[in-house]
Amino acid sequence: MKQNILLQLHPMTKFYFTLFIFAVVLISPGYIFSFAIFPILILIAMLAGVAKEFLNIVIKALVTVLIFIFIMQMFFYPGENVLWEWGIFEIKQEGIKYGLLLTSRILAIGSAFILFFRMTEVRDFVKSLEDIGLPPMGAYVVLSTLQIIPEMRRQANTIMEAQKTRGVETEGSIFVRAKAFIPTLTPLILSSIAGTEERAITLESRAFSAPVKKTSLHQLSKSNMDRALPIVFALVVIGLIVWRFFL
Amino acid sequence: MKRSFKDDFNMMAMLLIPIAVAVNLVGFQLANVLRLPIFLDTIGTIIVGVIAGPWVALLTGLITNLINGIFNPVYFPYALTSIAIGVGAGYLSKYGFFKSVPKTIISGIIITFIAVIVSAPITVFVFGGVTGNTSSLITAAFLASGQELWSAVFSSSFITEVADKVVSVLIVYFIVKAMSDRYLSKMNYGDLYMKRNNRK
Amino acid sequence: MTAMIDLKNVSYRYPVSDDSVLKNISFSIEKGKFTAIIGNNGSGKTTLCNTIRGFVPHFYKGDLDGEVIIDQTKITDYQLGQLGEKVGYVFQNPFIQVSGVKDNVFEEVAYGLENLGIPVEEIKIRVEEVLKLVKIEYLRDKNPFELSGGQRQRVALASIIVMDPEILVIDEPTSQLDPIGTQQIFEIIRLMKERGKTIVLVEHKMDLIAEYADDLLVMHKGELVMQGPVREVFADPEFEKYQIQYPHVTEIALQLQQSGIPLSFLPIRDEELADALNRTEVAAHD
Repeated sequence: MKQNILLQLHPMTKFYFTLFIFAVVLISPGYIFSFAIFPILILIAMLAGVAKEFLNIVIKALVTVLIFIFIMQMFFYPGENVLWEWGIFEIKQEGIKYGLLLTSRILAIGSAFILFFRMTEVRDFVKSLEDIGLPPMGAYVVLSTLQIIPEMRRQANTIMEAQKTRGVETEGSIFVRAKAFIPTLTPLILSSIAGTEERAITLESRAFSAPVKKTSLHQLSKSNMDRALPIVFALVVIGLIVWRFFL
Repeated sequence: MKRSFKDDFNMMAMLLIPIAVAVNLVGFQLANVLRLPIFLDTIGTIIVGVIAGPWVALLTGLITNLINGIFNPVYFPYALTSIAIGVGAGYLSKYGFFKSVPKTIISGIIITFIAVIVSAPITVFVFGGVTGNTSSLITAAFLASGQELWSAVFSSSFITEVADKVVSVLIVYFIVKAMSDRYLSKMNYGDLYMKRNNRK
Repeated sequence: MTAMIDLKNVSYRYPVSDDSVLKNISFSIEKGKFTAIIGNNGSGKTTLCNTIRGFVPHFYKGDLDGEVIIDQTKITDYQLGQLGEKVGYVFQNPFIQVSGVKDNVFEEVAYGLENLGIPVEEIKIRVEEVLKLVKIEYLRDKNPFELSGGQRQRVALASIIVMDPEILVIDEPTSQLDPIGTQQIFEIIRLMKERGKTIVLVEHKMDLIAEYADDLLVMHKGELVMQGPVREVFADPEFEKYQIQYPHVTEIALQLQQSGIPLSFLPIRDEELADALNRTEVAAHD
């Protein structure tokens, strides 16, 4: 695998970058600046080699929402300057302006988070949070959740198939379909919950609550870049605040 | 042993969280597959609230939305709603609101109000009133008929939430009823629902 | 000899049940001994293991009477976390017995050592060694969730052995394994015994118990009904009463005796049968 400088940044550095975008978008006035951030994020995604997944998720998660929001503001935002009118529907200039502002911000902030998770393994992110004080139990809960979800999805599918062969209808009227929900989910929940007892014993058997400081095979290291970038981000944000509110 | 009762509860309660989060996600997926008109994506959070109390449920709600947010950041701000639902279910359980079917239905309605009151401001301030789901269409219809933005958002989200939450709490009620005493005895609020106690 | 595990008049009742699962149990296990617990289903074997490990009553609650003493210290004076270092516990269900947060077998086995705060370099050496010992080196990069039952049992055993506890409590470690795998597990247990570990094992495979274990504890309906060296317990006519399986060869030998063929002693290992028959013939000729 080719080493990628961007991907190799410390998770916290990437996270600070996301917060940096968040701050910049909220501080900067108007929508042009916020819309300009999106191409920058695409560029970063390309450099990190994750552009395809990044754009896929942006399209899936954000595009409908953005269109909806824009149309809503266009028609219903209170304003005087009507540009176009049809029956009760009026497109107002203020609406378009507010719609652009809102969508530009949601696009920038939303896609910054999407990019963060494309560039960072959740496992690494959790580890970096643990390094700055997240309790081990918290880290355990998050990592274990990530492992349980696909496992449970698989089980749900298996149970559903079994229901079908036993004649539980999963097609038909809404009541018929609703009736399939409970026999699928209930056994899944009960059996998973019954397993927590043994999981607790497993963890205790592996000295989970041993009264010592844990070590970890999984180490994250910080480069000079990781030390410098957060300072740069902070300076830019301070600069923006001064420019925006004090000059 | 120097380890306190509370610590043991914590371990079991903590291990419940990953399962509950997965239940939220799988419930939602299942509702989708079966093309049900409700979300059923808070069943796990409510279960935790009922048997393990408000604080564990708070974490469950938070983690559910953080994990959903990895693929759809629109979920991040609504973490507050999930948290409120968890805390609400926890307190309702504490005061015995999940002990019979009629009371459970009342809890469902109370949880609906909690969800609507917390999510409406997020919808209005963060997203300008709509987020592109079914309730957005209803909001748009209300707005077109001349309602104010706030009342349109409140009423449309109440309409879409109430059926979902009442069905969810009823499912939770029956699942908790099916849990063994042995397991409930290890949960903070479990003794409220143990058959053994109820016999007395 | 010093007692490593010492139970005095121990009774225990689960919080939601009316009957005691353990009734007035007393025994003592010396350091370095390999003791097998046998008995039919529901006789209290697993609860007994949980008691030795301290999960009863600190995890399972309920009422525990009597004293449990591990290495000269009352179990109530340990912290639950501390006992993890001292008593390694491998329990029955291999499917849930994974940490749930590790992506591969190597890290899974290392998990206990991380929790004990062992330096990373040492962890790597110890994990390598145990993977080799338990013969699961080929699984090192596999996801623990994708293993078969037998593979999981080996990983579970490795994950505990690597922590190097003084006492090993192992509850049916071979239920998912074929005869060769089972034999290998017993060889590993023997090796642990040679290293001075005190071993408590719950098993149904009497042939292997006869071959490897020193002492037997026989559980029946929550009571400890027999205890002593393996050979003595099997030879005791009382044993038959509890409807527990004998070792294969003992079963055969008992039938031979019943049909009038004299034996010089009751064999418990396959290779002893000929001996038991021969010696009586020699005696007859004299």
